Amino acid sequence: MTKKLLYKTSKFYLIFIAILIVIAIPISYFTIQNLYVNEVDETLTLRKDQFFKDFGNQFDNIDLSHFNKYNKDIKLLENQNIKKDTLFYKDYFDILNNEIEPYRELNVPVIIKNKPYTLSVRTNMVESEDLIISIVAIFVVLLGLLMLGLFFINKRLSERLWKPFYQTLDTIEKFEIDKIHQPEMPQTPIEEFNRLNTSIEKLIKKNTSIYKSQREFIENAAHELQTPLAVFQAKIDTLMQNETLGKEQSKILISLNESVAQLNRLNKNLLLLSKVDNEIYSNKDHFTINEIIVKQLDFFTVQASSKGIKIITEIKTSVEVEANHTLTEILISNLFMNAIRHNHNNGLIMIILTEASITFLNTGSAEPLKVQKLFSRFSKTKPSKQGNGLGLAIVKKIADLNQWQIDYNFTENLHSFSVKF
Amino acid sequence: MKILLIEDEKKLADSIISYLNDNAVSCEWASDLHAALLKIGDHDYDCILLDLMLPDGDGFEILKELKKQNKTEGVIIISAKETLETRIEGFNLGADDYLTKPFHLSELLVRIQALVRRKNFNGSTIISYNEIDIDILSKTVKVNNNPVDITKKEFDLLLFLTGNKNRVLSKGAIAEHLSGDMADMLDNHDFVYAHAKNLKNKLKQAGAGDYIKTVYGLGYKWQND
Repeated sequence: MTKKLLYKTSKFYLIFIAILIVIAIPISYFTIQNLYVNEVDETLTLRKDQFFKDFGNQFDNIDLSHFNKYNKDIKLLENQNIKKDTLFYKDYFDILNNEIEPYRELNVPVIIKNKPYTLSVRTNMVESEDLIISIVAIFVVLLGLLMLGLFFINKRLSERLWKPFYQTLDTIEKFEIDKIHQPEMPQTPIEEFNRLNTSIEKLIKKNTSIYKSQREFIENAAHELQTPLAVFQAKIDTLMQNETLGKEQSKILISLNESVAQLNRLNKNLLLLSKVDNEIYSNKDHFTINEIIVKQLDFFTVQASSKGIKIITEIKTSVEVEANHTLTEILISNLFMNAIRHNHNNGLIMIILTEASITFLNTGSAEPLKVQKLFSRFSKTKPSKQGNGLGLAIVKKIADLNQWQIDYNFTENLHSFSVKF
Repeated sequence: MKILLIEDEKKLADSIISYLNDNAVSCEWASDLHAALLKIGDHDYDCILLDLMLPDGDGFEILKELKKQNKTEGVIIISAKETLETRIEGFNLGADDYLTKPFHLSELLVRIQALVRRKNFNGSTIISYNEIDIDILSKTVKVNNNPVDITKKEFDLLLFLTGNKNRVLSKGAIAEHLSGDMADMLDNHDFVYAHAKNLKNKLKQAGAGDYIKTVYGLGYKWQND
């Protein structure tokens, strides 16, 4: 699956932010906690030192019961069997809050009246826990904001940076080689994009000129063929006047005559295609599709009746279009002819004209036609006697020119070609 | 009838000249612009057949020269070039008809006849062939002065056949002539048979001779035997 360019960069950014925050929370928590515990330990040691400084060596004068009664967090206890200063955590039940709370405690051995005692200095860690959590929370929020900010700045920046790229992309997408007008590449202040645009422009120019010369070649070839074709036709017409022609010669002449007619049609269609390419039929008129159908109906009815084909028209409304009149006539007559040519004897043709579309339905081969190549030049589905494989290519070209959509369908043994205006 | 053919392709010119000569049209030939201009200066023609692409210039020069000399010859352009622009330019410069290559010689002949009839219009619009009178203007046919009920296509066919007397006309040429603009869209030529048969019967019933001959395999021929 393809993703947008910005999605890619943004995705990595977001993943990075997520990982960073997940890692940052425990690391910062433990680091701050560690720092705080060190601080607390130092405070406890200080308070111990203070105690020793206050009382000097006059421990014997201390009234132990008074001392322990009025000091909450510094007490002198009976011997606890400790040999040196020890720091540790311990939980105490807090009467005020009615819960067990964690404490940090420093125990120091002291000798009072020749008896071993333990000086216990402690600090409640509950508040510190809250503090650490607050600090970590603030830190994480700040980090998150920073990263999100960077993310959006980066996104905006990328969008702006890539804007010329997207403009170039749009221009290329709109480019069609068979159109006369060449696309104008956007100017950008970024060197790389300018290079890209210049290379694309070069490529387009080269391709267009190759396409143009190929088109000219077809056009010239078709033109040049017309004179020899005219000679060919004239000679056949002359030969036909020969009184001594036998049956066999007549047959040959007739088949030659048909071939010339076929060549002539092919040539005319090639010329027509190149004329459409050259935008010779660019002037537009207002007219109704109905008038074209009426005009052509007589001719095609005669053509169809030779094969016993019945034509049914279902004209629901008058449809006015703005297009080139000649080309629209060619489009409709090609569809008409197509429906007759690829029909079987005693078949049926239905022409349905609605406000939005014209549809030609016809009986014919029992198999649906292959859609992929149906409208390409010289793609014949079946070897046909007269078809030259250009009819539908011309129809498609004219439809494209007018931005009409052409569709092929095969339902209930009817081939249908539909042009949506 | 005297016409001038301006065409650089000798093989085509030969065929045209021979076909026209056989139909009582005398035809002179100029293979380039220079020769054509000389001939136009010296002679008057009933009709000029003009190819546009000549080795020493553009066929339009002839039209300009004719205009300059106030000549009224009818001109049929016979050209391989077929764009709307060349057509319009041709007509604007005074051409009367435009026939795109390739064409049937029979078609060329009836076009010449039609043009000359238009140019030499002096009251009579009737073509007569023995007992048959064809009125071009009202598109009616009379046999021994009795009108024959005839369709437009049959009328066109009759005119095409009589115009190409004694010539074999292929079904294709007739079909294309009768189809006009739609000639490129022909799927079959079968309708020619029906038209020919009907015309033949109608003329026969009206008391005309049996002039429409079927030439085996090839087509039809207007002939008095």
